[in-house]
Amino acid sequence: MKKSLLWSLALAFVLFLSACSGSDEASGEGGSDDSGEDGDQVTLRMTWWGSQSRHDQTQEIIKKFEEENPDIKIDAEFTGFDGYFEKMAAQAAGNNLPDIMQQNFGEYLNQYADKGLLADLTEYVESGQINVEGVSDTVMESGKKEGKLLGIPTGTNALTAFYNTDMLEEAGAEIPDENWTWDDYVATARKVHEETGEFGARLMEPKNLFEYYLREKGYKLFNEDGTDLGYNDDQLLADYFTLNKQLVDDGVAPGYDTIQQIKGVEDELIVHGKAPFDFRWSNQATALTSAAGDRNLEMTLLPGANNTEGMYLKPAMLWSVSENSEHKEEAVRFIDFFTNNIEVYKIGGSDRGVPIKEDIRNQMADDLSETDKKVFDYIELVTENSSPIDSNFPPESSEVLAALEEVDELVMYGELSPEEGAAQFREKATSILTR
Amino acid sequence: MEPLKPARRKVKKDNRNTTGYLFISPFLLGFFTLTIFPILYSLYLSFTDYDLMGTPSWIGLDNYVRMFTDDPTFWKSMKVTFFYAGIAVPIRLVFALLVAMALNKIVEMVGLYRTLLYLPSVVGGSIAVSIMWRQLFGNDGAVNSILGALGLPTHSWLGDPDTAIWTLIVLYGWQFGSSMLIFLAGLRNIPKTYYEASSVDGAGPVKQFFIITIPLLTPVILFNTIMQVIQGFMAFTPSFVVTNGGPVNSTLLYVLYMYQRAFEYFDMGYASAMAWVMLVIIAIFTALIFKSSPHWVHYESDTK
Repeated sequence: MKKSLLWSLALAFVLFLSACSGSDEASGEGGSDDSGEDGDQVTLRMTWWGSQSRHDQTQEIIKKFEEENPDIKIDAEFTGFDGYFEKMAAQAAGNNLPDIMQQNFGEYLNQYADKGLLADLTEYVESGQINVEGVSDTVMESGKKEGKLLGIPTGTNALTAFYNTDMLEEAGAEIPDENWTWDDYVATARKVHEETGEFGARLMEPKNLFEYYLREKGYKLFNEDGTDLGYNDDQLLADYFTLNKQLVDDGVAPGYDTIQQIKGVEDELIVHGKAPFDFRWSNQATALTSAAGDRNLEMTLLPGANNTEGMYLKPAMLWSVSENSEHKEEAVRFIDFFTNNIEVYKIGGSDRGVPIKEDIRNQMADDLSETDKKVFDYIELVTENSSPIDSNFPPESSEVLAALEEVDELVMYGELSPEEGAAQFREKATSILTR
Repeated sequence: MEPLKPARRKVKKDNRNTTGYLFISPFLLGFFTLTIFPILYSLYLSFTDYDLMGTPSWIGLDNYVRMFTDDPTFWKSMKVTFFYAGIAVPIRLVFALLVAMALNKIVEMVGLYRTLLYLPSVVGGSIAVSIMWRQLFGNDGAVNSILGALGLPTHSWLGDPDTAIWTLIVLYGWQFGSSMLIFLAGLRNIPKTYYEASSVDGAGPVKQFFIITIPLLTPVILFNTIMQVIQGFMAFTPSFVVTNGGPVNSTLLYVLYMYQRAFEYFDMGYASAMAWVMLVIIAIFTALIFKSSPHWVHYESDTK
């Protein structure tokens, strides 16, 4: 009797422990074994970040895919961008990454590549399981890291200057074209502010725009091997800060107290006719225009005399397959579907960038929405006026960029001078990168 | 002869204890796998460089050294947290006590009032309340609308580094419900006869408060203080949701910075080290409060 009790206790322990470790492994296989095996159906986990409209579109795309591939079921997990990579980091730590993952170019891709968490898709492209015929090499290159193809771009993207023609015309200001300079930008912004009393520009957010600013001046944010900053003269950053600070001080651009109230594209100043300029990614055109209603938004290259040097094409996002996926073949089938099926783009438009395949673009040309047409034309313009993207982002770059944002805030709040801010950023960045 | 004795004892022991252990095994399992193991593992991680995805590599005390010598943000978050806890905790306790005393006087519909006042704490740590707070104190939020309507100057509460932390302090103070209920229970336990006797002797309400209510309530005050100090140091949701640490890190609470290190900068080893530093700080504060308690806490059963 006592013995049996002891045994059952021991057994309970063992069962419990094995259940714990067992569940770790099972979920490492993408949670597919427990639910997906009935009727030979495979269940894939898939994650992405985005706005509500993207969530709706993506689920529609998934439904289409499941109709054509009845042997595959996709479990979707999605959030906004905030929190997405935190969640993924926790899943990676648990060896529990989804089968299909929306991945971001730059520091994130490099981080995952560094840890060997993403599957090399080269063989699937070579065998034709992912059909990328007619995709330009530079676009494919952006998914590569150290010779491995770690992601298929979902579409092409570029930084763009959105502007509100109505507001500019009302103020009698010059409508910018792709040859405008920083001085033009400042002059136009000031003019709009003086004439209309509204803001003349949105405060530039340093994360992408300082990098562009550097590129336009012929520098990079990081050096070749990502061990230090890519520029030596702190005056560059000080100038960038001064440019913005003066606009803020003169009331032409809003300070962070206003910017911080903006919690989504729908709240942006340009959407409400409160600022004529907004520099951001081109794939946000749809979200921005639909929120702006009948305000007339156009897009052009960012300002700068050498903006051809500064501009670059970027994969809007990448589709990656995790190395721990048990169902890589099936995951690849979805990526192929996403890349090649015209239905995907009829549903999603240019929300994940302009399609990477030429024949898809051609097929779509006839019945594009007005906004999508603008985006397609814009990407065409950038293609002819841009330089290759910098892919030398070190894994620590998200921290470096956070430091840049912090210093930028301090400068805009007037707690640091532009020069002090520039020096402090270098100090922080160096300390992070040499750690 | 020799082996017989221990064997007998063993059987006897097993007989009683095994059943006991079996009954508490669900707790034990949870305790060891979900509490003890993670605690020890985080202690181990605090001595490693661990980016969540790779394998932890041992770096000894480096994380601690870096924290104290080479991380201004760490000190900033420490400062913010001490300021926050140091002001918000007393505010909440005083508020809770005052409301509890008011409720103690109310005779009719006391249940309704209690529920209404407890509500903010039920939804307390929740995201929803924090989001509401963000709206209330936003530039176009309710607070500014009311100020504007009254002809008072409006203010960018969350955008100004000087006022943002105060909105969080007010939020903390407002969620006084659970302390209030505990105070209320304490107040109910004070025999009415004490007040009656003292009023016969001519003591007014203020005097009664200081010579009867407060002394008899000190055990409850001690309990509430310790619980709230711990909660104050560990606050996360408000700064995460309402301000996300900004502007210029003026609301970067310690735990939020720890979260950022762990999940935004993939610096889990460092974050674990931070967790242990916080553990030590909370332990010190709790110990200090306990140590001081003989001087100001009175138990009725004490024979002096």
